[in-house]
Amino acid sequence: MQVKLLSEHYDKPEFQALGGYERYGGYVVLAKALKMDPNAIIEEVKASGLRGRGGAGFPTGTKWSFLPKNGEPRYLLCNADEGEPGTFKDRVMMEKAPHQLIEGMIISAFAIGSKKSYIYIRGEYTDSIRIVGQAIQEAYKAGYLGKNILGLGFDHDMDIYVGAGAYIVGEETGMISSLEGLKGQPKLKPPFPAVQGYLRKPTIVNNVETLAAVKYIIRDGASSYRKHGTEKSAGTKLFSVSGNVQRPGTYEVPLGLPLKVLINDICGGLKPGRKLKAVIPGGSSAPVLTGDEANKVTMDYEALAQMGSMLGSGAVIVIDDSNCMVDILSTIMHFYHHESCGQCTPCREGTGWLNKIVHRIADGHGESKDIDLIKKVSEQMMGKTICALSDAAAMPAISFVTKFRDEFEAFIKKGQIGAGGTAHA
Amino acid sequence: MPDKSVRIKVNGQEIEVPEKSTVIQAFKQAGVDICHYCWHPGLSIAGVCRLCMVQVEGMPKLQIACNTEVKEGMSVNNTSDVVKETVKWGLDFHLINHPLDCPICDQAGECGLQDQYMQFGSYDPEMAEPKVKKEKVVDLGPTVVLDKERCILCSRCVRFTDEVSKTNELGIFNRGDRSEIGTVAGKPLDNNYSLNTVDICPVGALTSKDFRFRQRVWYLKEADAICPGCSTGCSVKVHYNEEGVWRVKPRVNPEVNGHWMCDVGRNTYKYVNLKNRLLSAKVGKRDVWQEVSVEDAVRSAGLKLRETKPEEIAVVFTGQYTNEDYAVAFKFFKEELKVKSFFHWLNNPDKLNEFDGLLFRGDRNPNTKGLENAFTTFGGKSGWDNLQAGLSGRKFKTVIVFGPEDQSVFPDLEEKIKFLSSAENLIWLTACSNSMLDSLGCETWQIPVKTYIEKAGSFTNFEGKVQSFKAGTTIVAQALTIAETVDLMAGREINWNLRPQGVGGPKINYAIANRGQL
Repeated sequence: MQVKLLSEHYDKPEFQALGGYERYGGYVVLAKALKMDPNAIIEEVKASGLRGRGGAGFPTGTKWSFLPKNGEPRYLLCNADEGEPGTFKDRVMMEKAPHQLIEGMIISAFAIGSKKSYIYIRGEYTDSIRIVGQAIQEAYKAGYLGKNILGLGFDHDMDIYVGAGAYIVGEETGMISSLEGLKGQPKLKPPFPAVQGYLRKPTIVNNVETLAAVKYIIRDGASSYRKHGTEKSAGTKLFSVSGNVQRPGTYEVPLGLPLKVLINDICGGLKPGRKLKAVIPGGSSAPVLTGDEANKVTMDYEALAQMGSMLGSGAVIVIDDSNCMVDILSTIMHFYHHESCGQCTPCREGTGWLNKIVHRIADGHGESKDIDLIKKVSEQMMGKTICALSDAAAMPAISFVTKFRDEFEAFIKKGQIGAGGTAHA
Repeated sequence: MPDKSVRIKVNGQEIEVPEKSTVIQAFKQAGVDICHYCWHPGLSIAGVCRLCMVQVEGMPKLQIACNTEVKEGMSVNNTSDVVKETVKWGLDFHLINHPLDCPICDQAGECGLQDQYMQFGSYDPEMAEPKVKKEKVVDLGPTVVLDKERCILCSRCVRFTDEVSKTNELGIFNRGDRSEIGTVAGKPLDNNYSLNTVDICPVGALTSKDFRFRQRVWYLKEADAICPGCSTGCSVKVHYNEEGVWRVKPRVNPEVNGHWMCDVGRNTYKYVNLKNRLLSAKVGKRDVWQEVSVEDAVRSAGLKLRETKPEEIAVVFTGQYTNEDYAVAFKFFKEELKVKSFFHWLNNPDKLNEFDGLLFRGDRNPNTKGLENAFTTFGGKSGWDNLQAGLSGRKFKTVIVFGPEDQSVFPDLEEKIKFLSSAENLIWLTACSNSMLDSLGCETWQIPVKTYIEKAGSFTNFEGKVQSFKAGTTIVAQALTIAETVDLMAGREINWNLRPQGVGGPKINYAIANRGQL
């Protein structure tokens, strides 16, 4: 069930430092990659079917090929601003295996011809910042970073940039703004980052897991990587499982694994006597699945999209029947209201509006027209703004009130008692 | 403008637009209405209000017209139901935290939000939650007051201070629906272009300290003018009513001032108003003043001029009159009276070529260039030292001065009045009153003339661009144009019957009287 490709040595504490990492084959792939034609690396990544692991699931090789084919300086930016509620796999990766990320990044940077990369780490991840920072220093000392890496003629510098706490800088253009020293707000597209990104130069932004996976694609070859997962969702994925399971944590499994296997077999199932009520399969932005849907779905991009949800960052939040859906949606709406950057009107005003309506319902002052109003407001927030935060707030709102309408109606009718049977504090 | 153009369809209507223009520019060019808010043709594209949504054939999502480039064969519309619904909701999102205090808002009547809502909105609002509360009166600096609740965060003012004035005072602080405009660490919004932020603010969030609460805009009339504040000659409009002139705002003129004007220019309406003006003619000398009609005063001045030998007359010009004024004056003095000596009173010779890089110039006269041209055409220009010598040597008996219209830009005014009063007779044409003229020892004629708002004519700006304007309104009915003055001096008749009425002066506004500093 579990396939430990990236996470093979995560259980070994020595894997964190350079010595241990090298003992398990560290930086061998880098030497191989630097002898390859950069275009061959891009082609290999394309052939592997690797898709962005940060949330959007965009094919990585295709993203790289959007870069202009000229000698213009370009940047690689690693998105380690892991902010999606429910997600904690990047943190595990950075703390257990910082060199794995660094090696994957140097290979990727070589492929796209970038001499400078940044790892943008969310500010709250103080351990990740320290550990990755030490690893970069080790890599410089060992000659994996800097001038003429491994004597193979490639120069590359790497730096860490520490975020200041805003969820929105996980969005790639917001991250670029922040890296530029501006307020972390997404930029108008076009131009896209691959054409005009950091400092108006071509920039590729990839997630921690995506960049680490590149190492294994080059090590084993695209066809070997494709053996895991489904045809359109190739490879393995690290899922952060939280909520009402016996063994929450980060698990690497092949894409396409049935969700119920992940919950019941890998995570030890629910507590005895509890029933599965709902699952948020891909972080708080992903539309919620009912227990029945969760039992049917497999964890890959297509199956979840068909079910009307998304794989997102792979944050699986398991909700059993001891929880109240109105309560959970209140928390989610509070989050998006707090995190909207305020640039685009529909998001700035819509997140606040939804938050007020949902909290009013949770406080026992709901009206029957509120449920439809939540849907209408949410629909008008979707696809109308510069970035996807507005959609990210709207999708859970629509799915919660649609799929758990009875709980919301019960709140509206009876005041503060939801259909889940829990009294609201 | 790029020489290539593309053909696109806007709401089914085929038009040709320059390559690389945006869809919103195409809509404007085609004269098709489109809801928009944060977009301003003089600023960069923010794309944040999300109101200029259009449907582009072949694209799944709606696009914002301001950031979508036209392409050959593109077909766009903003009439489909989905666009209309989106715009309606977009307006609702703008309004849910807007206080809707239109009845007490200065911007009412010229508000972007009101206008857009009346045209594209007009629905029953569905928002029933308490609105976000923010500060209502924030003193941003010497010229502008901010109401944070009214602000809908279009970022126009921020972009203006970043891109145009390049003074960077303003920013948007905090995030989400707690976002608000402000300045860093109490630094004031203080630059010579600050009031443009009030013009481009679509709502009543930024208001001008000079204008707020003074007039309801729908009671004001508008007249085009050329700003007399400096030699740039910005295209402006003046807003006036039966009480006087209330404000000056820029008019779009891509060749001179674009969309903007400076704060100094906005003050030029002040001296035009009744309380600063010379309301009737005065003839006499210190403590002995005759109350005579304007006509009698000018006729007696004319008589004095004709009694004086031509070589004993000195004519002093300032760069504050129109090309037409200079022409008619030169013709009278040079050709009819055969006067030989003409002088140019330069108020700020050392600052003449100063320029702030945007609009404001050190030459604080609208028509220095026009005066220089007139000297070239008509001849007779004499150096200032000749005037000094001629006065101290008693050569000049009668001096006629085309006095400054805006006396505040003549730092040497008092000194010059004293100096010129050493003549036997001093004829002073002036729009504004000046107490110093009342205490001179020589025979003095003070003759009221019209200001730039009250007469037609043309100014030639620093680069030789001739800009003509029409008379806007009349503040002082008694004041004469230069042509009328010359006709009366020459003994000709003028038509007193067709003269417009002046204004009554400001009524007492108790709201202002009691409102304190802001």
